[in-house]
Amino acid sequence: MAARDIYAPGEGAPLGRALLYVLMIAIAVAAAFPLAWMVLSSLKTPAEAMQTPPVWIPATPSLDAYEKVTDLINAGRSFVNSAIIAGVTTTGILITSLMAGYAFSKYRFRGRDALFAITIATMFLPPIVTLIPLYRMIGSIGLSASLAGVILPNLANAFGIFLMRQFVAGVPDELLEAARLDGASEMRIVFTIVAPAVAPALAALALFAFVYHWNSYLWPLTVLQGNSSEYPIVISLSRLLSYNRSAINTNLVMAGATLAVLPPLILFVFLQRFFVRTVTASGMGGQ
Amino acid sequence: MNPFRKSTLAMLVPSLGPIAVFVLVPIALTIGLSFTKWSTQTPFATASFIGLDNFAEIFSSSSVGRDFKGALVNTALYSALSIALLLPLSVAFGLLVHQARLKGAEVLRTVLFATYMVPMIAVALVFSKLYSPSEGPINQILGLVGIGPQPWLSSPDTALVSIVFLNVWQQVGYFTVLVIAGLTQIPQSVYDAARIDGAKGFSLFGFITLPLLKRTLLFSAVIALINAVQVFEPVALITQGGPVGSTNVLTYHIRRVGIERAQGGLGSAMSVTLLLALVITVTAVFAFARSEPTGRGAK
Repeated sequence: MAARDIYAPGEGAPLGRALLYVLMIAIAVAAAFPLAWMVLSSLKTPAEAMQTPPVWIPATPSLDAYEKVTDLINAGRSFVNSAIIAGVTTTGILITSLMAGYAFSKYRFRGRDALFAITIATMFLPPIVTLIPLYRMIGSIGLSASLAGVILPNLANAFGIFLMRQFVAGVPDELLEAARLDGASEMRIVFTIVAPAVAPALAALALFAFVYHWNSYLWPLTVLQGNSSEYPIVISLSRLLSYNRSAINTNLVMAGATLAVLPPLILFVFLQRFFVRTVTASGMGGQ
Repeated sequence: MNPFRKSTLAMLVPSLGPIAVFVLVPIALTIGLSFTKWSTQTPFATASFIGLDNFAEIFSSSSVGRDFKGALVNTALYSALSIALLLPLSVAFGLLVHQARLKGAEVLRTVLFATYMVPMIAVALVFSKLYSPSEGPINQILGLVGIGPQPWLSSPDTALVSIVFLNVWQQVGYFTVLVIAGLTQIPQSVYDAARIDGAKGFSLFGFITLPLLKRTLLFSAVIALINAVQVFEPVALITQGGPVGSTNVLTYHIRRVGIERAQGGLGSAMSVTLLLALVITVTAVFAFARSEPTGRGAK
Protein backbone atom coordinates (compact mmCIF):
# COMPACT_ATOMS: atom_id res chain seq x y z
CA MET A 1 0.00 0.00 0.00
CA ALA A 2 1.30 3.42 -0.91
CA ALA A 3 0.58 6.45 1.20
CA ARG A 4 -2.86 7.98 0.65
CA ASP A 5 -2.44 10.57 -1.99
CA ILE A 6 -3.18 14.22 -1.59
CA TYR A 7 -6.37 14.11 -3.64
CA ALA A 8 -7.88 10.89 -2.45
CA PRO A 9 -7.08 8.40 0.27
CA GLY A 10 -5.70 5.17 -1.14
CA GLU A 11 -3.88 6.38 -4.25
CA GLY A 12 -0.14 6.43 -4.80
CA ALA A 13 1.13 9.86 -3.71
CA PRO A 14 1.56 12.13 -6.72
CA LEU A 15 3.67 14.62 -4.83
CA GLY A 16 6.07 12.27 -3.18
CA ARG A 17 6.36 11.82 0.51
CA ALA A 18 9.34 14.13 1.00
CA LEU A 19 7.49 17.05 -0.50
CA LEU A 20 4.46 16.39 1.72
CA TYR A 21 6.72 16.46 4.77
CA VAL A 22 8.28 19.74 3.71
CA LEU A 23 4.79 21.17 3.29
CA MET A 24 3.66 19.89 6.67
CA ILE A 25 6.68 21.31 8.46
CA ALA A 26 6.29 24.66 6.70
CA ILE A 27 2.65 24.92 7.77
CA ALA A 28 3.43 23.90 11.36
CA VAL A 29 6.23 26.49 11.56
CA ALA A 30 3.96 29.21 10.16
CA ALA A 31 1.27 28.32 12.67
CA ALA A 32 3.63 28.16 15.65
CA PHE A 33 5.74 31.19 14.74
CA PRO A 34 3.56 33.94 16.32
CA LEU A 35 3.40 32.04 19.63
CA ALA A 36 7.15 31.32 19.56
CA TRP A 37 7.79 35.01 18.90
CA MET A 38 5.54 35.92 21.82
CA VAL A 39 7.42 33.68 24.28
CA LEU A 40 10.88 34.71 23.00
CA SER A 41 10.01 38.41 23.18
CA SER A 42 8.75 38.02 26.73
CA LEU A 43 12.26 36.93 27.76
CA LYS A 44 14.02 39.94 26.19
CA THR A 45 15.37 43.05 27.87
CA PRO A 46 13.42 46.23 27.01
CA ALA A 47 16.24 47.38 24.72
CA GLU A 48 16.33 44.08 22.86
CA ALA A 49 12.57 44.10 22.43
CA MET A 50 12.64 47.38 20.49
CA GLN A 51 15.68 46.71 18.32
CA THR A 52 15.56 47.34 14.57
CA PRO A 53 15.98 45.01 12.76
CA PRO A 54 14.36 42.68 15.32
CA VAL A 55 16.44 40.13 17.23
CA TRP A 56 14.84 36.71 17.45
CA ILE A 57 16.70 35.04 20.28
CA PRO A 58 17.24 37.05 23.47
CA ALA A 59 20.95 37.22 24.36
CA THR A 60 20.33 37.07 28.10
CA PRO A 61 16.89 35.58 28.66
CA SER A 62 15.31 36.87 31.86
CA LEU A 63 11.98 36.61 33.62
CA ASP A 64 11.99 40.26 34.70
CA ALA A 65 9.14 41.14 32.38
CA TYR A 66 6.92 38.54 34.05
CA GLU A 67 7.59 39.97 37.47
CA LYS A 68 6.85 43.51 36.30
CA VAL A 69 3.74 42.68 34.34
CA THR A 70 2.28 40.61 37.17
CA ASP A 71 2.20 43.72 39.36
CA LEU A 72 1.19 46.03 36.56
CA ILE A 73 -2.01 44.21 35.60
CA ASN A 74 -2.75 42.71 39.00
CA ALA A 75 -2.33 39.28 37.43
CA GLY A 76 -3.16 37.20 40.52
CA ARG A 77 -6.54 38.79 41.01
CA SER A 78 -7.28 38.71 37.27
CA PHE A 79 -6.47 35.01 37.12
CA VAL A 80 -8.85 34.29 39.99
CA ASN A 81 -11.59 36.30 38.24
CA SER A 82 -11.04 34.43 34.96
CA ALA A 83 -11.11 31.11 36.80
CA ILE A 84 -14.39 32.04 38.55
CA ILE A 85 -16.04 33.19 35.30
CA ALA A 86 -14.88 30.19 33.27
CA GLY A 87 -15.31 27.66 36.11
CA VAL A 88 -18.81 28.60 37.26
CA THR A 89 -20.06 29.09 33.69
CA THR A 90 -18.67 25.72 32.62
CA THR A 91 -20.23 23.92 35.60
CA GLY A 92 -23.60 25.46 34.80
CA ILE A 93 -23.37 24.56 31.12
CA LEU A 94 -22.44 20.94 31.92
CA ILE A 95 -25.40 20.41 34.27
CA THR A 96 -28.04 22.18 32.17
CA SER A 97 -26.85 20.66 28.87
CA LEU A 98 -26.81 17.12 30.24
CA MET A 99 -30.36 17.42 31.59
CA ALA A 100 -31.76 19.00 28.43
CA GLY A 101 -29.85 16.61 26.18
CA TYR A 102 -31.38 13.73 28.12
CA ALA A 103 -34.92 15.10 27.79
CA PHE A 104 -34.55 15.82 24.07
CA SER A 105 -33.16 12.39 23.25
CA LYS A 106 -35.00 10.06 25.66
CA TYR A 107 -38.44 11.62 26.18
CA ARG A 108 -41.24 11.96 23.65
CA PHE A 109 -43.38 15.02 24.16
CA ARG A 110 -45.48 17.37 22.08
CA GLY A 111 -43.54 20.13 20.38
CA ARG A 112 -40.20 18.46 21.09
CA ASP A 113 -38.72 18.95 17.65
CA ALA A 114 -39.92 22.52 17.29
CA LEU A 115 -38.49 23.38 20.70
CA PHE A 116 -35.19 21.78 19.79
CA ALA A 117 -35.07 23.63 16.47
CA ILE A 118 -35.59 26.99 18.19
CA THR A 119 -32.87 26.14 20.70
CA ILE A 120 -30.41 25.22 17.95
CA ALA A 121 -31.19 28.42 16.04
CA THR A 122 -29.85 30.46 18.96
CA MET A 123 -26.47 28.79 18.43
CA PHE A 124 -25.94 30.81 15.26
CA LEU A 125 -26.72 34.17 16.79
CA PRO A 126 -23.77 36.58 17.06
CA PRO A 127 -23.72 37.97 20.63
CA ILE A 128 -23.65 41.58 19.41
CA VAL A 129 -27.29 41.28 18.28
CA THR A 130 -28.50 40.94 21.88
CA LEU A 131 -25.73 42.93 23.59
CA ILE A 132 -27.55 46.24 24.05
CA PRO A 133 -30.77 45.02 25.75
CA LEU A 134 -28.87 42.32 27.66
CA TYR A 135 -26.54 44.96 29.10
CA ARG A 136 -29.57 46.95 30.23
CA MET A 137 -31.29 43.85 31.68
CA ILE A 138 -28.24 42.97 33.77
CA GLY A 139 -28.05 46.59 34.90
CA SER A 140 -31.70 46.72 35.92
CA ILE A 141 -31.40 43.65 38.17
CA GLY A 142 -28.43 45.32 39.87
CA LEU A 143 -25.71 43.01 38.56
CA SER A 144 -23.69 45.39 36.40
CA ALA A 145 -19.99 45.64 37.25
CA SER A 146 -20.11 42.24 38.98
CA LEU A 147 -18.86 38.76 38.11
CA ALA A 148 -22.39 37.46 38.66
CA GLY A 149 -23.58 39.71 35.86
CA VAL A 150 -20.92 38.27 33.54
CA ILE A 151 -21.78 34.67 34.44
CA LEU A 152 -25.59 34.66 34.71
CA PRO A 153 -26.64 34.87 31.02
CA ASN A 154 -24.20 32.12 30.01
CA LEU A 155 -25.23 29.28 32.33
CA ALA A 156 -26.95 27.42 29.50
CA ASN A 157 -26.17 27.23 25.82
CA ALA A 158 -27.50 25.62 22.69
CA PHE A 159 -24.24 24.04 21.60
CA GLY A 160 -24.02 22.06 24.85
CA ILE A 161 -27.62 20.85 24.48
CA PHE A 162 -26.96 19.83 20.86
CA LEU A 163 -23.83 17.91 21.82
CA MET A 164 -25.41 16.13 24.78
CA ARG A 165 -28.53 15.14 22.87
CA GLN A 166 -26.32 13.51 20.29
CA PHE A 167 -24.26 11.52 22.79
CA VAL A 168 -27.05 10.63 25.26
CA ALA A 169 -28.95 9.09 22.32
CA GLY A 170 -26.24 6.42 22.28
CA VAL A 171 -26.96 5.30 25.85
CA PRO A 172 -29.06 2.07 25.65
CA ASP A 173 -32.69 2.40 26.81
CA GLU A 174 -32.49 -0.97 28.60
CA LEU A 175 -30.02 0.56 31.02
CA LEU A 176 -32.50 3.32 31.89
CA GLU A 177 -35.44 0.89 32.16
CA ALA A 178 -33.50 -1.33 34.54
CA ALA A 179 -32.71 1.62 36.76
CA ARG A 180 -36.37 2.70 36.71
CA LEU A 181 -37.44 -0.79 37.76
CA ASP A 182 -35.03 -0.45 40.67
CA GLY A 183 -36.92 2.68 41.63
CA ALA A 184 -34.30 5.27 40.66
CA SER A 185 -35.62 8.78 40.04
CA GLU A 186 -35.06 10.42 36.66
CA MET A 187 -32.61 12.93 38.16
CA ARG A 188 -30.67 10.13 39.70
CA ILE A 189 -30.54 8.29 36.39
CA VAL A 190 -29.19 11.38 34.63
CA PHE A 191 -26.40 12.00 37.09
CA THR A 192 -25.40 8.46 38.09
CA ILE A 193 -26.01 6.44 34.91
CA VAL A 194 -26.12 8.77 31.89
CA ALA A 195 -23.32 11.11 32.99
CA PRO A 196 -20.64 8.42 33.33
CA ALA A 197 -21.76 6.88 30.03
CA VAL A 198 -21.16 10.15 28.16
CA ALA A 199 -18.09 11.22 30.17
CA PRO A 200 -15.82 11.82 27.14
CA ALA A 201 -18.37 14.16 25.56
CA LEU A 202 -18.82 15.94 28.90
CA ALA A 203 -15.04 16.36 29.10
CA ALA A 204 -14.97 17.85 25.62
CA LEU A 205 -17.86 20.18 26.41
CA ALA A 206 -16.15 21.24 29.64
CA LEU A 207 -13.02 22.13 27.68
CA PHE A 208 -14.87 24.01 24.96
CA ALA A 209 -16.86 25.97 27.51
CA PHE A 210 -13.91 26.70 29.78
CA VAL A 211 -11.63 27.89 26.98
CA TYR A 212 -14.38 29.92 25.34
CA HIS A 213 -15.31 31.76 28.54
CA TRP A 214 -11.70 32.17 29.67
CA ASN A 215 -11.00 33.91 26.35
CA SER A 216 -14.25 35.85 26.13
CA TYR A 217 -13.79 39.62 25.99
CA LEU A 218 -16.76 41.54 24.59
CA TRP A 219 -19.36 40.61 27.22
CA PRO A 220 -17.18 40.96 30.37
CA LEU A 221 -15.88 44.29 29.05
CA THR A 222 -19.45 45.52 28.59
CA VAL A 223 -20.71 44.34 31.98
CA LEU A 224 -17.74 45.26 34.14
CA GLN A 225 -17.43 48.85 32.88
CA GLY A 226 -14.29 50.02 34.62
CA ASN A 227 -14.64 47.94 37.80
CA SER A 228 -11.03 46.81 37.50
CA SER A 229 -10.98 44.62 40.63
CA GLU A 230 -13.34 42.22 38.84
CA TYR A 231 -11.47 42.12 35.51
CA PRO A 232 -10.58 38.77 34.00
CA ILE A 233 -7.06 38.37 32.63
CA VAL A 234 -8.00 39.21 29.02
CA ILE A 235 -9.33 42.63 30.02
CA SER A 236 -6.40 43.36 32.33
CA LEU A 237 -4.15 42.41 29.46
CA SER A 238 -5.88 44.76 27.06
CA ARG A 239 -5.13 47.61 29.43
CA LEU A 240 -1.45 47.19 28.60
CA LEU A 241 -2.36 49.00 25.41
CA SER A 242 -1.30 52.35 26.80
CA TYR A 243 2.09 50.85 27.58
CA ASN A 244 1.94 49.02 24.28
CA ARG A 245 2.06 52.32 22.41
CA SER A 246 5.72 52.71 23.29
CA ALA A 247 7.95 49.96 21.99
CA ILE A 248 9.99 49.98 25.19
CA ASN A 249 7.41 47.80 26.87
CA THR A 250 7.05 45.14 24.21
CA ASN A 251 8.60 42.53 26.48
CA LEU A 252 5.99 43.32 29.16
CA VAL A 253 3.12 43.01 26.71
CA MET A 254 4.43 39.68 25.46
CA ALA A 255 4.91 38.37 29.00
CA GLY A 256 1.32 39.32 29.83
CA ALA A 257 0.05 37.66 26.66
CA THR A 258 2.01 34.49 27.46
CA LEU A 259 0.45 34.33 30.92
CA ALA A 260 -3.07 34.66 29.51
CA VAL A 261 -2.46 32.04 26.83
CA LEU A 262 -1.00 29.37 29.10
CA PRO A 263 -4.12 28.05 30.90
CA PRO A 264 -6.25 27.35 27.80
CA LEU A 265 -3.25 26.01 25.91
CA ILE A 266 -2.15 23.65 28.70
CA LEU A 267 -5.71 22.42 29.09
CA PHE A 268 -5.90 21.77 25.38
CA VAL A 269 -2.61 19.88 25.15
CA PHE A 270 -3.69 17.52 27.92
CA LEU A 271 -7.21 16.95 26.70
CA GLN A 272 -7.01 17.43 22.96
CA ARG A 273 -8.06 13.87 22.15
CA PHE A 274 -11.52 14.65 23.58
CA PHE A 275 -11.70 17.83 21.52
CA VAL A 276 -10.80 16.16 18.27
CA ARG A 277 -12.95 13.10 18.88
CA THR A 278 -15.99 15.20 19.73
CA VAL A 279 -15.60 17.57 16.80
CA THR A 280 -15.20 14.56 14.53
CA ALA A 281 -18.20 12.75 16.02
CA SER A 282 -20.53 15.73 16.01
CA GLY A 283 -19.18 17.46 12.92
CA MET A 284 -18.95 20.73 14.78
CA GLY A 285 -17.15 22.31 17.69
CA GLY A 286 -17.34 24.74 20.56
CA GLN A 287 -18.93 27.96 19.55
CA MET B 1 -48.60 10.25 25.94
CA ASN B 2 -45.47 11.03 27.82
CA PRO B 3 -45.23 9.19 31.13
CA PHE B 4 -42.43 11.52 32.20
CA ARG B 5 -44.30 14.80 32.00
CA LYS B 6 -43.02 16.22 35.26
CA SER B 7 -39.49 15.06 34.59
CA THR B 8 -39.50 16.55 31.10
CA LEU B 9 -40.26 19.95 32.56
CA ALA B 10 -37.68 19.56 35.32
CA MET B 11 -35.01 18.52 32.80
CA LEU B 12 -35.67 21.33 30.34
CA VAL B 13 -36.30 24.37 32.55
CA PRO B 14 -32.73 24.81 33.84
CA SER B 15 -31.41 25.32 30.30
CA LEU B 16 -34.36 26.52 28.24
CA GLY B 17 -35.33 29.02 30.96
CA PRO B 18 -32.04 30.93 30.79
CA ILE B 19 -31.96 30.65 26.98
CA ALA B 20 -35.48 32.12 26.79
CA VAL B 21 -34.69 34.92 29.25
CA PHE B 22 -31.18 35.81 28.07
CA VAL B 23 -31.38 35.10 24.33
CA LEU B 24 -34.98 35.13 23.07
CA VAL B 25 -36.16 38.06 25.21
CA PRO B 26 -33.15 40.22 24.24
CA ILE B 27 -33.76 39.45 20.52
CA ALA B 28 -37.38 40.55 20.90
CA LEU B 29 -36.20 43.66 22.76
CA THR B 30 -33.60 44.47 20.10
CA ILE B 31 -36.28 44.29 17.40
CA GLY B 32 -38.75 46.32 19.46
CA LEU B 33 -36.22 48.97 20.49
CA SER B 34 -35.06 49.44 16.91
CA PHE B 35 -38.33 51.36 16.30
CA THR B 36 -37.79 53.66 19.28
CA LYS B 37 -35.68 56.50 20.53
CA TRP B 38 -34.11 55.15 23.69
CA SER B 39 -31.06 55.88 25.82
CA THR B 40 -29.27 52.74 27.02
CA GLN B 41 -28.74 54.48 30.37
CA THR B 42 -32.48 54.55 31.12
CA PRO B 43 -35.12 51.84 31.79
CA PHE B 44 -36.80 50.18 28.78
CA ALA B 45 -40.05 51.98 29.69
CA THR B 46 -38.58 55.33 28.62
CA ALA B 47 -38.29 54.23 24.98
CA SER B 48 -40.54 56.31 22.70
CA PHE B 49 -41.86 54.90 19.42
CA ILE B 50 -40.51 56.64 16.32
CA GLY B 51 -41.39 54.12 13.59
CA LEU B 52 -38.73 53.56 10.96
CA ASP B 53 -36.75 56.72 11.75
CA ASN B 54 -33.69 54.82 13.02
CA PHE B 55 -33.53 52.76 9.84
CA ALA B 56 -33.97 55.86 7.71
CA GLU B 57 -31.15 57.47 9.69
CA ILE B 58 -28.63 54.62 9.34
CA PHE B 59 -29.23 54.40 5.60
CA SER B 60 -29.23 58.16 5.04
CA SER B 61 -26.29 60.19 3.77
CA SER B 62 -25.78 61.85 7.18
CA SER B 63 -22.58 61.11 9.09
CA VAL B 64 -24.43 58.42 11.11
CA GLY B 65 -25.51 56.78 7.87
CA ARG B 66 -22.07 57.06 6.31
CA ASP B 67 -20.38 55.47 9.33
CA PHE B 68 -22.88 52.62 9.50
CA LYS B 69 -22.79 51.83 5.80
CA GLY B 70 -18.99 51.94 5.99
CA ALA B 71 -19.08 49.41 8.84
CA LEU B 72 -21.50 47.20 6.89
CA VAL B 73 -19.22 47.22 3.83
CA ASN B 74 -16.11 46.61 5.95
CA THR B 75 -17.77 43.65 7.67
CA ALA B 76 -18.93 42.19 4.34
CA LEU B 77 -15.45 42.57 2.90
CA TYR B 78 -13.82 41.11 5.98
CA SER B 79 -16.21 38.13 6.00
CA ALA B 80 -15.82 37.43 2.28
CA LEU B 81 -12.02 37.56 2.48
CA SER B 82 -11.95 35.37 5.59
CA ILE B 83 -14.14 32.70 3.99
CA ALA B 84 -12.23 32.88 0.69
CA LEU B 85 -9.00 32.11 2.56
CA LEU B 86 -10.25 29.77 5.28
CA LEU B 87 -12.13 27.29 3.10
CA PRO B 88 -9.42 26.43 0.53
CA LEU B 89 -6.70 26.42 3.21
CA SER B 90 -8.68 24.13 5.50
CA VAL B 91 -9.29 21.70 2.62
CA ALA B 92 -5.58 21.68 1.69
CA PHE B 93 -4.47 21.24 5.31
CA GLY B 94 -7.18 18.65 5.93
CA LEU B 95 -6.04 16.52 3.00
CA LEU B 96 -2.46 16.78 4.25
CA VAL B 97 -3.31 15.73 7.83
CA HIS B 98 -5.62 12.99 6.57
CA GLN B 99 -2.68 11.18 4.97
CA ALA B 100 -2.93 8.02 7.03
CA ARG B 101 0.64 6.98 6.48
CA LEU B 102 2.38 10.26 7.15
CA LYS B 103 3.91 10.15 10.59
CA GLY B 104 3.61 13.49 12.33
CA ALA B 105 0.28 14.42 10.81
CA GLU B 106 -1.16 14.37 14.33
CA VAL B 107 1.44 16.89 15.44
CA LEU B 108 0.43 19.23 12.63
CA ARG B 109 -3.21 18.89 13.60
CA THR B 110 -2.34 19.71 17.22
CA VAL B 111 -0.32 22.78 16.28
CA LEU B 112 -3.07 24.02 13.96
CA PHE B 113 -5.82 23.47 16.48
CA ALA B 114 -3.80 25.00 19.32
CA THR B 115 -3.98 28.46 17.74
CA TYR B 116 -7.76 28.24 18.10
CA MET B 117 -7.36 28.08 21.89
CA VAL B 118 -5.44 31.34 22.15
CA PRO B 119 -7.46 34.30 23.45
CA MET B 120 -8.13 36.78 20.65
CA ILE B 121 -6.83 39.60 22.84
CA ALA B 122 -3.43 37.90 23.06
CA VAL B 123 -3.48 37.22 19.31
CA ALA B 124 -4.22 40.88 18.66
CA LEU B 125 -1.41 42.05 20.96
CA VAL B 126 1.12 39.66 19.44
CA PHE B 127 0.19 40.49 15.84
CA SER B 128 0.30 44.21 16.53
CA LYS B 129 4.01 43.63 17.27
CA LEU B 130 4.59 41.16 14.43
CA TYR B 131 3.14 43.71 12.00
CA SER B 132 5.18 46.61 13.37
CA PRO B 133 6.69 48.23 10.24
CA SER B 134 10.18 48.79 11.65
CA GLU B 135 10.80 46.40 14.56
CA GLY B 136 8.37 43.66 13.48
CA PRO B 137 9.66 40.31 12.23
CA ILE B 138 7.15 40.01 9.34
CA ASN B 139 8.64 42.87 7.34
CA GLN B 140 12.09 41.55 8.25
CA ILE B 141 11.22 38.13 6.75
CA LEU B 142 9.72 39.78 3.67
CA GLY B 143 12.94 41.77 3.30
CA LEU B 144 14.92 38.52 3.17
CA VAL B 145 12.95 37.39 0.11
CA GLY B 146 13.21 40.79 -1.52
CA ILE B 147 9.78 42.28 -0.70
CA GLY B 148 9.77 45.84 0.59
CA PRO B 149 8.31 46.74 4.01
CA GLN B 150 4.51 46.78 4.15
CA PRO B 151 2.53 49.29 6.26
CA TRP B 152 0.12 46.56 7.52
CA LEU B 153 -2.11 47.99 10.27
CA SER B 154 -1.03 51.59 9.74
CA SER B 155 -2.43 52.15 6.24
CA PRO B 156 -6.12 52.27 5.26
CA ASP B 157 -5.31 50.10 2.22
CA THR B 158 -3.88 47.19 4.18
CA ALA B 159 -5.29 47.39 7.74
CA LEU B 160 -8.46 45.34 7.16
CA VAL B 161 -6.58 42.65 5.22
CA SER B 162 -4.02 42.48 8.04
CA ILE B 163 -6.81 41.68 10.48
CA VAL B 164 -8.19 39.07 8.06
CA PHE B 165 -4.77 37.33 8.08
CA LEU B 166 -4.73 37.36 11.87
CA ASN B 167 -8.23 35.85 11.92
CA VAL B 168 -7.28 33.17 9.38
CA TRP B 169 -4.20 32.27 11.42
CA GLN B 170 -6.35 31.81 14.52
CA GLN B 171 -9.22 29.88 12.96
CA VAL B 172 -7.80 27.73 10.17
CA GLY B 173 -7.08 24.83 12.54
CA TYR B 174 -10.70 24.60 13.62
CA PHE B 175 -11.94 24.42 10.04
CA THR B 176 -9.22 21.91 9.20
CA VAL B 177 -10.58 19.60 11.89
CA LEU B 178 -14.07 19.99 10.40
CA VAL B 179 -12.72 19.05 6.97
CA ILE B 180 -10.93 16.01 8.41
CA ALA B 181 -14.23 14.96 9.99
CA GLY B 182 -15.83 15.27 6.55
CA LEU B 183 -13.04 13.32 4.85
CA THR B 184 -13.30 10.39 7.25
CA GLN B 185 -16.96 9.98 6.25
CA ILE B 186 -16.14 9.35 2.58
CA PRO B 187 -16.11 5.59 2.10
CA GLN B 188 -13.06 4.10 0.43
CA SER B 189 -15.31 2.09 -1.89
CA VAL B 190 -16.35 5.29 -3.70
CA TYR B 191 -12.72 5.91 -4.65
CA ASP B 192 -12.26 2.28 -5.67
CA ALA B 193 -15.28 2.47 -7.96
CA ALA B 194 -14.05 5.74 -9.52
CA ARG B 195 -10.64 4.25 -10.10
CA ILE B 196 -12.13 1.27 -11.94
CA ASP B 197 -13.71 3.90 -14.20
CA GLY B 198 -10.21 5.23 -14.83
CA ALA B 199 -10.23 8.34 -12.64
CA LYS B 200 -7.02 9.24 -10.88
CA GLY B 201 -5.13 12.02 -9.15
CA PHE B 202 -6.73 15.39 -9.51
CA SER B 203 -9.90 14.18 -11.17
CA LEU B 204 -10.57 11.99 -8.12
CA PHE B 205 -10.37 15.12 -5.99
CA GLY B 206 -12.57 17.13 -8.34
CA PHE B 207 -15.23 14.49 -8.93
CA ILE B 208 -15.32 12.64 -5.61
CA THR B 209 -13.65 14.42 -2.69
CA LEU B 210 -14.89 17.95 -3.30
CA PRO B 211 -18.54 17.10 -4.08
CA LEU B 212 -18.71 14.80 -1.06
CA LEU B 213 -17.26 17.55 1.12
CA LYS B 214 -20.00 19.93 0.00
CA ARG B 215 -22.06 19.68 3.18
CA THR B 216 -19.00 20.15 5.38
CA LEU B 217 -17.91 23.18 3.36
CA LEU B 218 -21.39 24.71 3.50
CA PHE B 219 -21.40 24.35 7.26
CA SER B 220 -17.84 25.74 7.44
CA ALA B 221 -18.84 28.74 5.34
CA VAL B 222 -21.79 29.53 7.63
CA ILE B 223 -19.70 29.19 10.80
CA ALA B 224 -16.87 31.25 9.28
CA LEU B 225 -19.39 33.95 8.41
CA ILE B 226 -20.93 34.00 11.91
CA ASN B 227 -17.42 34.17 13.39
CA ALA B 228 -16.32 36.90 10.99
CA VAL B 229 -19.12 39.31 11.90
CA GLN B 230 -18.04 38.98 15.53
CA VAL B 231 -14.56 40.39 14.96
CA PHE B 232 -13.98 42.84 17.77
CA GLU B 233 -10.77 42.50 19.79
CA PRO B 234 -8.14 43.48 17.18
CA VAL B 235 -10.21 46.52 16.20
CA ALA B 236 -11.01 47.59 19.77
CA LEU B 237 -7.44 47.04 20.88
CA ILE B 238 -5.23 48.16 18.01
CA THR B 239 -6.94 50.16 15.29
CA GLN B 240 -10.07 51.63 16.97
CA GLY B 241 -11.76 51.41 13.59
CA GLY B 242 -9.01 53.33 11.81
CA PRO B 243 -6.96 54.30 9.90
CA VAL B 244 -9.61 56.49 8.22
CA GLY B 245 -12.46 54.17 9.22
CA SER B 246 -11.00 51.28 7.20
CA THR B 247 -11.37 48.74 10.03
CA ASN B 248 -14.60 50.08 11.54
CA VAL B 249 -16.55 46.80 11.61
CA LEU B 250 -20.12 46.20 12.79
CA THR B 251 -19.57 44.60 16.19
CA TYR B 252 -17.20 47.40 17.16
CA HIS B 253 -19.44 50.10 15.69
CA ILE B 254 -22.69 48.79 17.23
CA ARG B 255 -21.09 48.58 20.66
CA ARG B 256 -19.74 52.12 20.34
CA VAL B 257 -23.11 53.55 19.33
CA GLY B 258 -25.39 51.45 21.58
CA ILE B 259 -23.29 51.10 24.73
CA GLU B 260 -20.63 53.83 24.80
CA ARG B 261 -22.78 56.57 23.26
CA ALA B 262 -25.91 55.03 24.85
CA GLN B 263 -27.97 55.46 21.67
CA GLY B 264 -29.88 52.24 22.33
CA GLY B 265 -32.55 52.66 19.66
CA LEU B 266 -30.05 53.47 16.94
CA GLY B 267 -27.74 50.63 17.99
CA SER B 268 -30.67 48.20 18.01
CA ALA B 269 -31.62 49.20 14.47
CA MET B 270 -28.04 48.45 13.43
CA SER B 271 -28.21 45.05 15.18
CA VAL B 272 -31.48 44.21 13.41
CA THR B 273 -29.94 45.17 10.07
CA LEU B 274 -26.97 42.91 10.78
CA LEU B 275 -29.29 40.03 11.71
CA LEU B 276 -31.32 40.50 8.51
CA ALA B 277 -28.16 40.67 6.40
CA LEU B 278 -26.96 37.41 7.99
CA VAL B 279 -30.27 35.60 7.44
CA ILE B 280 -30.40 36.75 3.80
CA THR B 281 -26.77 35.75 3.16
CA VAL B 282 -27.10 32.30 4.75
CA THR B 283 -30.36 31.64 2.89
CA ALA B 284 -28.72 32.71 -0.38
CA VAL B 285 -25.72 30.46 0.25
CA PHE B 286 -28.00 27.45 0.81
CA ALA B 287 -30.17 28.29 -2.20
CA PHE B 288 -27.07 28.57 -4.36
CA ALA B 289 -25.73 25.27 -3.04
CA ARG B 290 -29.00 23.50 -3.75
CA SER B 291 -29.29 24.86 -7.29
CA GLU B 292 -25.79 23.67 -8.10
CA PRO B 293 -25.63 20.28 -9.75
CA THR B 294 -23.30 18.06 -7.76
CA GLY B 295 -20.13 17.11 -9.53
CA ARG B 296 -18.17 20.23 -10.31
CA GLY B 297 -16.79 23.02 -8.21
CA ALA B 298 -19.00 22.81 -5.16
CA LYS B 299 -17.74 25.89 -3.39
